[in-house]
Amino acid sequence: MNDMVAEQPWLWAGLGAYFVATLLAMWGVSPRHSGDDAETSHRHQRWVLAFIVLGVLLLTVAIGARWVRIGHGPWINLFELLMSQMWSLGLVFAALYWRLPGLRPSAVVVLPVMWVLGSWVLTLEPAVSHFPATYYNVWKWSHVGLGKIFLALLLTGVGLAGVLILRRTQRGQVWFRAMPSDAVIDKLAWRLMMLALVFDSFMLIAGAVWAQDAWGRYWAWDSLETSAFLTWLFLAIGLHVRLSYKVPPWVSGTIIIGIFAMAFSTYFGTPYLSPSAHKGVV
Amino acid sequence: MFSWFRLLASLKLTLVGMVLLGGGAALSYNNPVDVSVWVLVLPLSLLAVNLTAAIITNPRINRQIGLLVFHVCLLATVLLAGVGRMTHLDAHLEITNGQGFTPDLLLDVRKGPWHTGSLKKVAFVQGDFTVDYSAGLKRNLTHSMVYLPENGRMREQDVGDDRPLVLERYRFYTTHNKGFSPVLTWVPDQGATVTGRINMPSYPLFDYKQSNQWTPPGSRQEIKFWLQLNTGLSVGDAWVLDARNSSGVLVVTIDGLRVELEKGESVRLPDGQLRYDDLTSWMGYRVFYDPTLQWLFWVTIAGVLGLMHFFWKKLNLVPWMDEATSASVLPAEKLAGAPEKQGSKGQAV
Ligand code: HEM
Repeated sequence: MNDMVAEQPWLWAGLGAYFVATLLAMWGVSPRHSGDDAETSHRHQRWVLAFIVLGVLLLTVAIGARWVRIGHGPWINLFELLMSQMWSLGLVFAALYWRLPGLRPSAVVVLPVMWVLGSWVLTLEPAVSHFPATYYNVWKWSHVGLGKIFLALLLTGVGLAGVLILRRTQRGQVWFRAMPSDAVIDKLAWRLMMLALVFDSFMLIAGAVWAQDAWGRYWAWDSLETSAFLTWLFLAIGLHVRLSYKVPPWVSGTIIIGIFAMAFSTYFGTPYLSPSAHKGVV
Repeated sequence: MFSWFRLLASLKLTLVGMVLLGGGAALSYNNPVDVSVWVLVLPLSLLAVNLTAAIITNPRINRQIGLLVFHVCLLATVLLAGVGRMTHLDAHLEITNGQGFTPDLLLDVRKGPWHTGSLKKVAFVQGDFTVDYSAGLKRNLTHSMVYLPENGRMREQDVGDDRPLVLERYRFYTTHNKGFSPVLTWVPDQGATVTGRINMPSYPLFDYKQSNQWTPPGSRQEIKFWLQLNTGLSVGDAWVLDARNSSGVLVVTIDGLRVELEKGESVRLPDGQLRYDDLTSWMGYRVFYDPTLQWLFWVTIAGVLGLMHFFWKKLNLVPWMDEATSASVLPAEKLAGAPEKQGSKGQAV
């Protein structure tokens, strides 16, 4: 066992807070509350929100502690990327959870998806990463920031997509009884997709500007660029499929989950499958 | 409107084009040499025709200003990228300290058939450079000094990494490819004296094989050179690559003769005299030219702003769910506001 490094206790505490939020969210939709009025079912939501926010705060400290320890931000290796995504996904989801009460029960889908990242980060060594010369570029901030918002919007869409699919089961109908009709959820979900498209497009533009300066070309179909373009195109296809066909809610949900899966592999798969540029090794 | 034109504008054709484009993009991954650029050009052309027809005929696009701006900019982006490919230039350059840029220095030149840049007007002289390395030989910032003629004087500019030298829209980016160049003077038994430089392989990448060869003019025998460098390189510590703080012994081998030369020393060879004058450096640049860059940037930004405009408009049509309209108390329709005007079959979001 290695010695513990500065960020680890904070990271664990942050993930612990997310874990409590997950349990509370599940408890909140559980059938034993099926007779409750809306007021009762709202009370636990404050606690869910509080624990997500607590998790974000603890992860902020974890990221800060690592930043101080290694001298640069969480941009490079998988450990850092996952940790900072856990932070930004929590932050954006908390904001949406707070502003859009109608989607709150979908936290029982969103938070477990975040746990895929959470359990992954726990298996990784917090090794010190090298900060490449091309990462001093200021476009990095907008590229990464926009990408974080994009992924969080997709994840929130996945929560609603999960509701649309789970509602085909009896249990799902009970869990999500406090949510609006499928038609409304579907609309909200695709609205989030469209907002995601805005951020995705800006992210690609900022990324291209950075790539132009960092590698002397704005687009070269490297592994990450190809995957990111396909994600963008999947979004476009999803939006246009809905314009051309009447799509049942569960299909709509499946499309959203497909888009998210593509984005997920772009963020966490592609840069680590291919040794080519963009991973930061230049 | 002709029915074939409507067919061209069909949204189903859009989906076909998008799926084909997805296939083309997947095939283009990592630019394999055996995949033709047509796997991208054909779907993009199909989509461009489809989109043009849709913009002209479909009021769902052309009556909604934000969506119209977005799709027009999308079209413009594809066209600009196409023009960019036709007019671009991509090349490499190795230039030695003190040397002035000339277009014939470019290597591996790839350019579009319409390329007409003013490369001849590009003028700069390469100066010294430094490259910072962290422990473990991890490359950090490069500072390459270049000198630009300006009002009869030379202006110094520091370029490197993501700070290219931009002249006449040609962008010069430093690369990891850089190294040392011994400056040699050859005084042949017959003919004129020549002074030149021999670029050794990239350093520190090829630290272990700093060798090259040269056949002097008027001689039939090839001279082999091997440079024994002292650069202060230490893998375990941070280090700065700087030719001014480096020295090198030049090992000259010709026809069984092996001589080690220090700076300033000469050797008598069968066809003349060779002098090792100095040790200097060369920098490798990537050269990139694409006159559409700025246009692409602003057109794509305008497009996304159009999309945002369209999106906000939609948001206003249907209020987001808020605290006051809790789902369990309100029917879905009320939450969603008044039903929107919809197109033929699809759903609006
Ligand atoms: C290339 C051919 C394309 C054509 C012919 C086309 C056509 C259309 C049409 C007719 C609409 C209908 C607007 C409405 O009913 O409200 C639309 C909407 C839209 N298009 Fe495209 N489009 C194309 C490409 C794209 C691409 C590549 C994207 C990129 C993501 C895109 C994004 C959108 C969005 C976000 C909407 C609004 C969706 C909605 O209201 O639900 N389009 N497009």
